Amino acid sequence: MPNRPIVGIGASAGGVEALERFFKSMPADNGMGFVVVTHLPPNRESMLAEIIGRATQMPVVDARDGEMVERGHVYVLPAGAILTIHEGRLRLRRTGTADHQRTPIDVFFTSLAQDRAEHAIGIVLSGGGSDGTLGLKAIKENGGLTVAQGTNATGPRFAQMPTSAVASGFVDLVLPVEDIPDRIIAYVRNWDAFDKQQPEDALSTVYRLLQTRTGHDFSEYKDSTFQRRVQRRMQVVQAVGLEEYVEQLQKDPDEVRALLRDLLIGVTDFFRDDAAFQVLETSVVPKLFEGKGAADEVRVWVVGCATGEEAYSIAILLREHMDGLEAAPKVQIFATDIDEAAMGVARAARYAGDLVRGISPARLKRFFLNEAGTYQLGKDLREMCIFSTHSVIRDPPFSRLDLISCRNLLIYLKPSLQEQIIPLLHYALRPSGYLLLGLSENVGRYADLFVPLDHKNRVFQRRDMVARPSLPFRQFLPASRREEGVSGANHSPLVQRSELLHNVANTIVERFGPTYVIVDEAGEVLYFSAGTGKYLEIAAGPPSRDVLALASPGLRADLRAALHRAKESGRRAARDRIPVETNGGVHVIDLVVEPITRGTDTTYGIVFADHVPAVGHDEIDSAQRPPGEDDIIRQIERELQETKERLQSTIEELETANEEFRSSNEELMSVNEELQSSNEELETSKEELQSVNEELQTVNSELSNKVDELDRANSDLNNLFQSTQIATIFLDRNLVIRSFTPSVTKLFNLIPGDHGRPLTDLVSRLAYPNLENDIRAVFGGEAIERAVSLADGKRHFLARILPYHASNNVIDGVLLTFVDITGIAAAEEQLKVLAAELSHRVKNTLAVVSSIAERSLPDDQVKTDLIDRFHALAHTHDLLSQAGWVEAPLRDLLLAELAPHAAGDGSNVTVHGPPVMLKPQAALFLALVIHELSTNAAKYGALSVTGGRVDVAWTIAGDDPPRLELNWIEHGGPEIHRLPRHGFGTELIQRGVRFELQGEATLETMDGNLHFKIVIPADPKYLIFASSPDRWSIEEAAS
Amino acid sequence: MTEALQGVKVLVVEDEYLVATLMENMLASAGCVVAGPIPRLAQALDAASSEACDVAVLDVNLAGERVYPVADILAQRNVPFVFVTGYGVLPGEYANRPRLCKPFKMADLLDTLSDIVKTAPASH
Repeated sequence: MPNRPIVGIGASAGGVEALERFFKSMPADNGMGFVVVTHLPPNRESMLAEIIGRATQMPVVDARDGEMVERGHVYVLPAGAILTIHEGRLRLRRTGTADHQRTPIDVFFTSLAQDRAEHAIGIVLSGGGSDGTLGLKAIKENGGLTVAQGTNATGPRFAQMPTSAVASGFVDLVLPVEDIPDRIIAYVRNWDAFDKQQPEDALSTVYRLLQTRTGHDFSEYKDSTFQRRVQRRMQVVQAVGLEEYVEQLQKDPDEVRALLRDLLIGVTDFFRDDAAFQVLETSVVPKLFEGKGAADEVRVWVVGCATGEEAYSIAILLREHMDGLEAAPKVQIFATDIDEAAMGVARAARYAGDLVRGISPARLKRFFLNEAGTYQLGKDLREMCIFSTHSVIRDPPFSRLDLISCRNLLIYLKPSLQEQIIPLLHYALRPSGYLLLGLSENVGRYADLFVPLDHKNRVFQRRDMVARPSLPFRQFLPASRREEGVSGANHSPLVQRSELLHNVANTIVERFGPTYVIVDEAGEVLYFSAGTGKYLEIAAGPPSRDVLALASPGLRADLRAALHRAKESGRRAARDRIPVETNGGVHVIDLVVEPITRGTDTTYGIVFADHVPAVGHDEIDSAQRPPGEDDIIRQIERELQETKERLQSTIEELETANEEFRSSNEELMSVNEELQSSNEELETSKEELQSVNEELQTVNSELSNKVDELDRANSDLNNLFQSTQIATIFLDRNLVIRSFTPSVTKLFNLIPGDHGRPLTDLVSRLAYPNLENDIRAVFGGEAIERAVSLADGKRHFLARILPYHASNNVIDGVLLTFVDITGIAAAEEQLKVLAAELSHRVKNTLAVVSSIAERSLPDDQVKTDLIDRFHALAHTHDLLSQAGWVEAPLRDLLLAELAPHAAGDGSNVTVHGPPVMLKPQAALFLALVIHELSTNAAKYGALSVTGGRVDVAWTIAGDDPPRLELNWIEHGGPEIHRLPRHGFGTELIQRGVRFELQGEATLETMDGNLHFKIVIPADPKYLIFASSPDRWSIEEAAS
Repeated sequence: MTEALQGVKVLVVEDEYLVATLMENMLASAGCVVAGPIPRLAQALDAASSEACDVAVLDVNLAGERVYPVADILAQRNVPFVFVTGYGVLPGEYANRPRLCKPFKMADLLDTLSDIVKTAPASH
């Protein structure tokens, strides 16, 4: 699997903007794979892949299960899923709304951290909440790079997510989003360009700086670890050489802090090294509680607890055991570390998914609260642990502990420092207390202080019967001196002194001790002291370490014998007064061979000494002091010794007391911090609630207004309904009654409760069998109108059925209205009756008038003419009445008058012209004119003789206005020599036409026969020119 | 009674020829000077505005139009008039004006006109 960097990007509210800007600033040939994780509601489709696709040339796709993350590609988490990564492949798991993941960013980042280690890059952008903080912690702990969106003019819109990450202290870079791409490209490119060989003493400047600035001595940390961490910081800040980085450290206190954080990061886990915890659980924990009642305490110290997983693991074991006890003692776990930020995380006790994989599901369920993938430790366990900042190197230890767990701290320290800490831990434990170390750690040369109970899992018990080593209480640097330099010393004073003592002891031995060699069982020399030249020689030949070969010849025999003796007996063998020849004389030498066994090895020390004759007694005596003075001195010495010891003891007690006060103080501070933390959480909750409250109020008042409007609209509608006299019914698509006006009850048997019943269920008083069909037809979109009546025929209605259009123009139902037209119908009926009656009356009146004339007047032509004229009027009335008193056809008027005077076969009369309708006034007037003409023709004119004829023809001519031209031409009648000048007819024709019809009429003779011409303008009040033959309703009279 | 009508100028507005000529003859034989008869509203309006007459006879229905605008002009000029109509009742403002129903006797017409002329204030 190629090692390429994979960038995880987490964003929430305001994230779309930030992501767009990020990708716009990211060049396409970056050589990295990108995975974008955001907070999406589970059911909604996300357009994020498209939006990002527009901002970059890289291909952007929705993440798919099993897909390998390729360079130069972007993968986006789709809605309703959780993303993790394994061996460079994405793993997608669908979630339903039930287990909706609230911290998908933490889940992915943690997985990315474990899969890619230092090749992981995590970026947290705009969003609310704190998702991503734990994920970045995991990435940083595994050596990756962590970035958060910093504030500039344009972002982030919601700063909570990046701020929370930064506050946790796990963020390497805080940058405006547009600057992030260039930085991470530079970081990745510099990996290979980096010079990994750095001289060791170059790091000493760094050590010094750290000591001065932070008070922590990292010179005892293993070089390789230290170097790797420094290199990484250099990569992050893009310093190419160590000098450049040191300059930065000197200038920038933040970089010092950042380096410190990186140095302190270690990978921690719950129940790390399962077997060790098993042993702890079965063998150690029960012992801790043995013989303790409710008034007692179990005290535990976890050294170097970092983010708290170790301490809480122990707490779980203790808690589980306590549950089985009737009267459990109080348990106090002190968990310390020098990393204050890690303390903060430990106190919060919240761990993202993968971090809790060392915990069994049963324990998870019992002790943790699962908040969608992050697990919060329950209060009962949190209360058992007190986290406080404490340096095991610098600060006095806790005391009277039942158990100390110091796992994977010592390995980071140089052996000399380790050797200071072991006795410290011994001191801190109460008698028979237990010590846990990491699997690659040991008690070293302090095996005499601890009994290994389980060597493989590094479980030890304190040995109580030991000669108390001088307690390593040393000069502790008070805080105020942290900023001043310590006088150049790189090592702590104690180490220096013990080495010095060794040196001095060696010097004394060298100067005043005997000359010796150490040989093994084969006689090979292992060690020469100084001054062996007197007794040993370098022989000729190849160099040899055989002591017998080296010994001077005179020495050889005795040496061999003594060696042999010592070997055989296992005891000291001595030879004295051995003469040895050297240059310049003979030496007399004593020789002792002593076997020395250490473990399974036996070596032999061969001590050479010049033979010194015994000193006589009197010589000794003279060196003696007076007895009295000796005693006093001895006594004084003894007292002094006792005083020293007492003083020592007092000092120890004082230190203990101090330590306990410190402890209490730490506990109180810890509690205080927890309370503050809770307080802040409550404040935040309160603000959130207020905010939500305000929103709700706003929404509420809007709704209120809407409801008021609705009420008013409804009220208007109701009033309208009540007021209208038109019976109206609203039906829905299924002919179910939605609403109706009160007037409807006259037509249908409806009560208010009938809302919701189908119309067809109900009895109607209407004779309208087609109602249902008509309603269905209206669903097609066209309205229908019908005149209908009540079944008893008493009332008439105009029924209108209309489609009901809903707001989207879909036909949602129908609307029926019934307008009472009974009155109108009655009126119409009445009119008909009236008209008929009138007609009848008029005709009767005319008949009566005729009768009166008939009876009153003497029989003469005048009477005949008069009564004829009455008849002409009566006929015309008939014609008009047949056409409803609207009009009468000109043709019929002519025929009616001419017919009585025509021949039997009608051949002497022609009537010809287009259809012309005369209005009543014109019809009556023209009827009189035509009557005169006809009568004259029959008396004096063409119709008075056989062979005579009358031709009447008319046309419509002209345009503006059109004119009716009618010609009445008589042929074959007796010659007329002159026309009458006066007379009813003549006057009627000449003056009347002009007067009444605004027309012109002329009477002439042609060939002795009458020619009458009339021209009338077509005033629509008088004349209309009909075009449809079906308006003819009168039969041609006998022609 | 017909002496009262001697020389009285009468404006006649009537669209039926036979009725109009009859009125014309009767009034002439009673000694009136007849202006018209005028069968149409437009011409009647002109005449009402410009003719100097002492009294007018107005047929309410003139070929479909109502004669009331003519009556208004005459009223403004303080020229008395009488309506002649087939209708029973005239609309409000004219309801109190003298009127004759068709068909009427000529004698009734002459009497009505005499009364009007007698009681009318001295016109223009």
